[in-house]
Amino acid sequence: MSFLELEGVQTYYGQSHILQGVDLEVTEGEVVALLGRNGVGKTTTIRSILQLTPPRSGDVRFRGESLVGKDTHEVAEAGIGWIPEGRRMFARLSVEENLRAAVPNATDVDEALGTAYDTFPILHERQGQRAGTLSGGQQQMLAIARGLIGDNDLLLIDEPSEGLAPQIVSDVGRALLSASQEVSILLVEQKLSLALDLADRFYVMDHGTIIDSGETADVTAGDERLRRHLSA
Amino acid sequence: MIEHLLILGDLLDLFTSPGRLIAVLIEGLAKASLYVMIASGLTLIFGLMDVINFAHGAFTMYGAYMAGGLILAVGAAEMGFAMVVVVFLLVMLTIFLVLALIGTVMEVSLVRRLYEYPPIFQILLTFGIAITLEEFMRMFVEFQGINNGQYRFGWETPRLETVPTALRGATDIGLIRFENIHVLEILLGVVTVVAIWAFLNRTRYGLFVRAGVEDEEMAAALGINVKQTFTVVFAIGSGIAGAAGVILMWDPLWSVSVPLALAVLLPAFVIVIVGGLGSFKGTVVASLLVGMIDAFGTWAFQTGAITFTGIDDLMIFGILVVMLILQPRGLFGVEGQGDHG
Repeated sequence: MSFLELEGVQTYYGQSHILQGVDLEVTEGEVVALLGRNGVGKTTTIRSILQLTPPRSGDVRFRGESLVGKDTHEVAEAGIGWIPEGRRMFARLSVEENLRAAVPNATDVDEALGTAYDTFPILHERQGQRAGTLSGGQQQMLAIARGLIGDNDLLLIDEPSEGLAPQIVSDVGRALLSASQEVSILLVEQKLSLALDLADRFYVMDHGTIIDSGETADVTAGDERLRRHLSA
Repeated sequence: MIEHLLILGDLLDLFTSPGRLIAVLIEGLAKASLYVMIASGLTLIFGLMDVINFAHGAFTMYGAYMAGGLILAVGAAEMGFAMVVVVFLLVMLTIFLVLALIGTVMEVSLVRRLYEYPPIFQILLTFGIAITLEEFMRMFVEFQGINNGQYRFGWETPRLETVPTALRGATDIGLIRFENIHVLEILLGVVTVVAIWAFLNRTRYGLFVRAGVEDEEMAAALGINVKQTFTVVFAIGSGIAGAAGVILMWDPLWSVSVPLALAVLLPAFVIVIVGGLGSFKGTVVASLLVGMIDAFGTWAFQTGAITFTGIDDLMIFGILVVMLILQPRGLFGVEGQGDHG
């Protein structure tokens, strides 16, 4: 059974018709990459799943239950976590407070904090520091840690390597690989090699629809099939 | 020439006699405590949630009238000190809860619908609510014959006489004279500041508030019920506005009247803006600043150095003008807060 299923999703920003009938699915335990050039609707797809920008038609189902019409916090409570593009730290809150905010319904917050600090020891060292004063790499670690400790079954991860130094990208990649052992992931990523390394399957988007899909084992980053879709 | 020398003499007297200077400072602290109680509710609603609530002053005015009614009803004026304190705290708690309930209804039924619209919609809505509430109270006051505290239905005691005996007069400690009502005001101001600070910084809900204020979408995506959080903040802000009315009721400079709504609203906005939107610390510091300036203005008026009766308002709004010119974000304003597009 599909874990996450999008069927004919049409989403608008005002009058702009962004998603024009998106169909995709993620099965349990799977990592799926959503590929495509800038502005084709990848982030809007994630926002539609989270009901931050609710679809006008079509359906988004998680474990067979429709998410359309739910509040975003209810989507999160259902077990869907978000690691957004640009990290979106609570800059004025400390590292620890950011992590505490990520587990609003947890009964054992200390255990969740322990998981985050075990995964990223640097966050433990900086726990009292304001998140806005962390480096880009540390902020990304914090964003990933927030997603990991949230008791989620599915993570929606948007451009995790964006703006990071190569060394940090490989750290982030390792963290995501480790996360993928425990949760399903829908990954939006511009770095094709990273996306294909992590994902089991891929979808390619263009002009608000899915135009190609397949197994990552069948393609490489240099394939003409992907290059044609992804080159500007 | 002689007048100027006299004023200079008063000034020298103030700064060379510690007792007198401390008395002015204590009055400043008492005024700051009133200001912080008036402005704290607004800083939660306007400073943090970005909702421009023009009904804030009306809530305080309702708090004052309701507290006056309750105090008279239970006959607190004739009670001993300990009983008065207990009754006063119970009345304050009751008013807080009643106004918090009214605030909840207002947020859920009206204000919530306008979060996504430009601020002018909130201004028009809350301004309309303020006028409605004020005129409703004016009608009630006229019909019930409540004028300067003279209640037709058996409560004939003038308002000022409702100040319990235990709280009238002053207490001398060494060279310093404490007005009893000032001590109560300062204590309540401190309790208000500590309680709000603890709520925002030491509770889980306070954390949700700060997270939701900073990035509503991200907070919701982490599982925080931001709508509910904002309702709670609005309720607490409204409750504090009402509770402030309870103490203003007894202060001769404020007293209970329908225009109290506007008299409260203006300095509250000044303090929140001077302190900086989104900063509770800023509100506390701005309250101290305005309270001290107010106290020194009052002292100058009493000595005859200044004869213009509107000196307090002039100085308070002068601070606002200077702040907006020199530092539009206020003393501790937070980037992004109050930047309406």
